[in-house]
Amino acid sequence: MINTTLTKKILNTLLKTGGSFSEVFAQKKEVNNIRLEDGKIENSSSGFELGCGLRLIYKDSTFYAYVDSLQQDIILNAAKILSAAVNETGEIKVLNLSNVYSSYITPIKKHPSEITAEHKKEILLSVDNFARNYSHYIIQVSSNLSDLEEEIYIANSEGSMCHDSNTKVMLSVSVVAREKKEIRTGYKSLARTSGYEVFDSQKPSVVSGEAARIAVIMLKAVNAPSGSLQVVIGPAFGGVIFHEACGHGLEADAILKDASVFKDKIGKKIANNIVTAIDNPTMPYHWGSYAFDGEGFPSQENILIKEGILQNYIFDYKTAKKMNKKQTGNGRRQSYRDIPIPRMSNTYLAQGKEDPGSILKSVKKGIYAKEFSGGQVDPAIGDFVFGISEGYMIEDGVVTNPIKGATLIGNGPEILNKIEAIGNNLDFAPGFCGKGGQSASNEVGQPTILVSEITVGGTEI
Amino acid sequence: MEEIVKKKNGKSLAQFCNDASLKIKKLKVDEFEIYGASSTHNELELFNEQIDNLSFAETKGLGIRIFKDKRVGYSYTSILDEYNIDKCIDRAFSNSKITFQEEFNYLPLEREFKNSKGTIDKKILFSEDFFNFDIKQKIQLARELEILAKKKDKRVTGINNLIYNDSLDEVMILNSTGFFDSYRTTSAFIYLSVISKEKDDTSTGDFFGYNRSPGEFNLEEIAANAVNRSVWILGGKKIKSQVVDIVLDPFVAAQLLGIIAGIVTADTVQKGKSLLKDRIGDKIFKGDFDIIDDGTLSYGLASKPFDGEGVPKGKTVIFENGILKTYLYNTYTARKDKKFSTGNAVRSSYKSTPEVGVSNFYLKPSKTSLEKIIKSVDKGFYVIDIIGLHSGTNPISGQISVGAKGLWIDKGSFLKPVKEVTIATDLLSFCKSIDKIGDDLRFMPSGGYIGSPSMLVKDIALSGK
Repeated sequence: MINTTLTKKILNTLLKTGGSFSEVFAQKKEVNNIRLEDGKIENSSSGFELGCGLRLIYKDSTFYAYVDSLQQDIILNAAKILSAAVNETGEIKVLNLSNVYSSYITPIKKHPSEITAEHKKEILLSVDNFARNYSHYIIQVSSNLSDLEEEIYIANSEGSMCHDSNTKVMLSVSVVAREKKEIRTGYKSLARTSGYEVFDSQKPSVVSGEAARIAVIMLKAVNAPSGSLQVVIGPAFGGVIFHEACGHGLEADAILKDASVFKDKIGKKIANNIVTAIDNPTMPYHWGSYAFDGEGFPSQENILIKEGILQNYIFDYKTAKKMNKKQTGNGRRQSYRDIPIPRMSNTYLAQGKEDPGSILKSVKKGIYAKEFSGGQVDPAIGDFVFGISEGYMIEDGVVTNPIKGATLIGNGPEILNKIEAIGNNLDFAPGFCGKGGQSASNEVGQPTILVSEITVGGTEI
Repeated sequence: MEEIVKKKNGKSLAQFCNDASLKIKKLKVDEFEIYGASSTHNELELFNEQIDNLSFAETKGLGIRIFKDKRVGYSYTSILDEYNIDKCIDRAFSNSKITFQEEFNYLPLEREFKNSKGTIDKKILFSEDFFNFDIKQKIQLARELEILAKKKDKRVTGINNLIYNDSLDEVMILNSTGFFDSYRTTSAFIYLSVISKEKDDTSTGDFFGYNRSPGEFNLEEIAANAVNRSVWILGGKKIKSQVVDIVLDPFVAAQLLGIIAGIVTADTVQKGKSLLKDRIGDKIFKGDFDIIDDGTLSYGLASKPFDGEGVPKGKTVIFENGILKTYLYNTYTARKDKKFSTGNAVRSSYKSTPEVGVSNFYLKPSKTSLEKIIKSVDKGFYVIDIIGLHSGTNPISGQISVGAKGLWIDKGSFLKPVKEVTIATDLLSFCKSIDKIGDDLRFMPSGGYIGSPSMLVKDIALSGK
């Protein structure tokens, strides 16, 4: 996208005033999004973006500029202006650039650009049909099919460069069910870092069937209980709790700012010894996977917690440098318009030994939180809240009534010590995570787990 | 650094829009619209009074809507060369072929305008003072805020986040009915989150400033608010689950009001996703409250001369004396309901098509002070901050359950800090339980620009121990 000679010129222009690190990130992206609601294709939209971001680090400060262009004069001018932010004499000069390679190689079979809009429309219509036929209680179905293809080129003053490309496809379905005055919703998505071959192995109708099932079953929901209870958290999306309540606190920028409860805890026991947690962007075709992070560093598996002991944080270039640690390939950025920051990829609690059914059976009185609508955490103190979108009462080991309007509230580090059982049914779910105004594709995952107590915020006092 | 802007590309936004329109006119389309936007953006993050990140950028983009056989297609591009603009037009055209055909799919006509044109002086969207601040002064301003905050209370141990950003934006719409207009806005935002510690307890608190120019920030107030919101909660404990009266801080109340903002849009109503469907004329609030959407409010940061499809903005009273009077409309949803557009077509950027959304949306304050409200509470919970609003509320089913922290009220005065509890209700019960509102209307950016005074809400379920 940018040739080596020009790259060197840009990197050196950035460094000539005394910066210690410079980087160029170029991106070309094409996106398509089709939305079906009210039984019709409401919107079909496409977008084309191209540009590059220039980064300069001087001492602890990062200076950043981006332009919607890959033209030489425009980039060099931006580099010149950016370098003026630093006022020293330069020493570093980039003489050689060599390619960095990643072991993450995932061929794409059906590129979005080769799929006709008609075919995409058919996918959405089948999704809509399936959900509407699921039950007469269903009054609305909204589905989105989006795809992305991008090319990326990254080079930095440490002499590494990489060429990368990404293909992503996402189908999401929201269903609204109504019975008299009660309205409930169900949501499910399927998202992969791959082409349209995703639908060869996973039927779109399964996604809409699941969304419809949740909406309809929740029509029968009773008010959620309040207070401290035993909670069984379901597999796949249940992992969002670890992601929010612990994962964010393990991102090195939070550690550096003294805004994490996990500061100075490496090598220490922070969780029950049955807990192992991993961040792994190299799982083929997973939604949070990539070959290189946003700084051109090859992706790698990062074991965060092993048998209850904290092993490592999540680093990007700048935080690793500052803390004298190894980069972990987690410097992610939303686009050329954004600064890379340490972020999770596919983050999950590892497989346990227990049968999920017997975990449920072991609970006398509690709730089963199967699906969540998301959550929020204050990483500085570890406090979190999660909205339960599909949950049930557990009475004497039996899953009974669905419950509505329940939230879990608690503290991440405390919960880690209260995980008392881990199932053998590890599964994953895709989503988007927002941090610092940037959105990233993430996957969360876990088997069924049992937490000895969490505060459930319902309306039934 | 702002030089980048000028040198980047010789063409103005108007020229890009015009060039694109000439190209589209050569195609066999029925109607078209070009939405152009350009932005100069600065962002700054400080840590320990030093620059952590400083970024600046200039962007431009076009979003093109093509109408053909009563179908609409959309495409956008940030690559403004001839080849890519052609590609963008072609794609908008081809996208129109798969979307649904409906008689209401055509551009807004002037005779459908409910609000008159030119009710807003474009000058109010724009501050000349904005240009008096160079990057050094902006850094200085952020530093000053950090120093102020650290001085406020010795329990403040650090800064969690200190972000400043500003932007100078231009928006332009050109369409085939002959509409061609633009406006420019300036805005500056500063956000501070502080960490305080006492014994084993850590607490965070945040506050912000949002104005047309950094010169309008009240740093003293921002620092004091962020610090208070942090230190007041120190030593906070969970309390036992109970049904209790709660007093909501204006910013907490505004966030909950934002959920109501989401269900008064005609789009959600027409699709059966609003609890306010078929409720026009009904008394939704117990009190005689007025809720207004005013796209022309002089100090409103969401004010604009026209909406996302060129329809003049105006003032719409949505609830009057607690009674639902109307929904908010863009052109398409208005035609469906045989109404006029209220000028509420919103676009978050050139990347998106016009949807229905609020502008400056607020609950009209009363004359009762917050102090008086607190004094009237025998036993209650003053909520300073909530967490998990998006995951804990479902605007369609109406369920609300969010994490909360604040102060316990006993016999009209604050007794002790409370944290790690939830408050739960459902949206329509919430509306019915608002007992009193304060005189302290405050706005915050949240979707639109949403404003609320403090609220006293009766009998809410609180979950704790």
